Amino acid sequence: MYRLTAVTKDYQTNGKRVSALTDVSLTIDDGEWLAVKGPTGQGKSTLLQLLGGLSRPTSGSILVSGEDLSRMPDTRITRLRAETIGFVFQFFNLLPTLTAQENVEAALVPLGIRSSERRRRAAEALDSVGLSDRATHLPSELSGGQQQRVAIARALVKEPRVLLADEPTGNLDEDTAAEIIDLLEQRWRSRGLTVVLVTHDNAIARRAQRVAVMRRGRLTIAPSQTSALPDVFERAGFGEAGLKAPETPPAPR
Amino acid sequence: MFTVTYLRRELRHRKKQAVFTALGLAVAIGTVVSVSAASSGAAKAQTSVLKGLYGVGTDISVTVPWSKDTAGPGQKLAPADAAQHLDFLDSPSMGLLDAAKIPSIAAQKGVASAAGALILQDTKMDLPPQPKPGEQGPPMTPPKQAAVSGVDTSRTSPGPLATATVSAGRALSAADADADVAEVSRNYAAANSLQLGGTVTVGGHAFSIVGLVDVPQNGNPRDVYIPLSRAQALSKFTGKVNTVYIGATSAADVDTAAAAIRTLLPGATVTTASSLSKAVTGSLADTAKLADNLGRWLSIAVLAVAFAMASLLTISSVSRRVREFGTLKALGWRTRRVTLQIMAESVVTGAIGAALGIGLGFAGAAVITAVAPALKAAVAASPGSAPVQGMSIQGGPGGGAPVTHSFDAPDSVQSVVVHLAASVSPGAVALAVGLALAGALIAGLSGGWRAARMRPAEALARVE
Repeated sequence: MYRLTAVTKDYQTNGKRVSALTDVSLTIDDGEWLAVKGPTGQGKSTLLQLLGGLSRPTSGSILVSGEDLSRMPDTRITRLRAETIGFVFQFFNLLPTLTAQENVEAALVPLGIRSSERRRRAAEALDSVGLSDRATHLPSELSGGQQQRVAIARALVKEPRVLLADEPTGNLDEDTAAEIIDLLEQRWRSRGLTVVLVTHDNAIARRAQRVAVMRRGRLTIAPSQTSALPDVFERAGFGEAGLKAPETPPAPR
Repeated sequence: MFTVTYLRRELRHRKKQAVFTALGLAVAIGTVVSVSAASSGAAKAQTSVLKGLYGVGTDISVTVPWSKDTAGPGQKLAPADAAQHLDFLDSPSMGLLDAAKIPSIAAQKGVASAAGALILQDTKMDLPPQPKPGEQGPPMTPPKQAAVSGVDTSRTSPGPLATATVSAGRALSAADADADVAEVSRNYAAANSLQLGGTVTVGGHAFSIVGLVDVPQNGNPRDVYIPLSRAQALSKFTGKVNTVYIGATSAADVDTAAAAIRTLLPGATVTTASSLSKAVTGSLADTAKLADNLGRWLSIAVLAVAFAMASLLTISSVSRRVREFGTLKALGWRTRRVTLQIMAESVVTGAIGAALGIGLGFAGAAVITAVAPALKAAVAASPGSAPVQGMSIQGGPGGGAPVTHSFDAPDSVQSVVVHLAASVSPGAVALAVGLALAGALIAGLSGGWRAARMRPAEALARVE
């Protein structure tokens, strides 16, 4: 799905050049669930933004299904986001004036789908996350967990190939966070999604097939299905249990 | 439609800001509409004044500026040993024109009819005897003056009697061309105890009063109307006129006809309603100028403030909604669609502002009409003439130091009182809608430009 080669991302802050990502190379297979872990400010979200085409690398290449994101025109990237990539954010990012149903519909608007079809698919998506009875509620009338469910419904309603989740449980209590991760895992399994999930929660990271750790802009990949964590993973906070691969691999799309 | 739903929800959510922006635009639009209505009202009042001054059917007037070459022989006032009573007709403010040129004027392109007239001043005065050397002469009593028109009795329009109504007796007719008959203004008759069937003295000659007439105040009324040929004879302006009244074949032909007459009579003053309007003075003209000048700048200033306010509020709103727009871009919304969404919200706000502004404009026009004081318009009684400001009479040789007596010529300037009725025209409404939408588009474009420049990652990185 993704092949990143020597990707670097620099920012200019107060006239100084700050490297958010340094020489990152990574391959993410179709249908893979990758967790990206690391302390705050180490470049996790930057990596996710690059994968989602929300920003461009300073150097290096990011191939998505063979196309280089770093050279793609804005219109093509916009189209890619509309059709292929779903986002889930830490703060849900629901449009505050629209109902749950309309928030989900907003993801179908760029695809030019007719309003009746949009409504039907949005209702189905809300139903699939158990919120059909909250369709007409505004985000402010929903709990944090319900808002994140709406956000997941919005990310998945267009049936994307990739789901990029930036700390999706970072703003939720433990029980609700577990529910949301269950929901994501269920969708990953049933749809064969490629999931890249940024988190600093060990328990959540363990649910992924692979874990990558970001530290000072550099990425280290943990070996798959390993039981022994290298030092870098220990320092990043992983326990001795190591990384656990899912019992059932996802069905290919 | 999703855009409409989104727009409706956003406007409802940001009701205060939308109302504030719409009200700002409404005040600006209301000001423009009110000023435009006042300006239009002043223009209409001027038109009505000018129409009255010309008389119905008169589109153009031709006069000749007073100069030594164009003036009549004038009156020589020679003090004598005995007291003298003088009664003479003169054209103190206008030059003379050959009446023989009237047919040529009538033949010009765009001219439907032309009639000559003599607009004269009848002066009655007592000249005291010349004082002997070393003696102080008696004080001179001010002269009595009357406005006299020598009119073409074969037609009333165009001409000085075009707006007259005969209230008693009869009007002058073609048969009166050489008769010593007169129509007298009812006001003048009342002020001077003149009666129908009686006589009025003009230029030292008695005229039978055959009719009393009312001429509207804005119709440039004269005191006495006598046949043109009699006026020419008594004033010694034989074969001369000093005003030619012209009716054009149509309103569209006025300029063509005026241009043709200017070519025919290079030294003449050819006055049309539009050129005369520039010569109107008084509070009406001041109001018109106020509406045109101050009103225009006030409108521009208020519009600029409203547009700037709307733009700043929209930009501020966009700044507060960066995460929202970043999210939309992350969802695959094109920048153009986000910009259009912002502009649509702005345009709807502008449309509400336009509707409110038009309402305010109508209310403003009604208030102006209700509270506006009566306005006075002043214009030269005979278009194209230089108003006479005074007359000097000099003592004769040996009569001591020259004595100058000055007075205003009472009929040199015609004053008309009109009421200003501010009216909102469809054009003003269209202008208001256009301006409100333009303001909204400027605001929307400012906000849209701000949103378009956002990179989705930067937008999402900001935490509200």
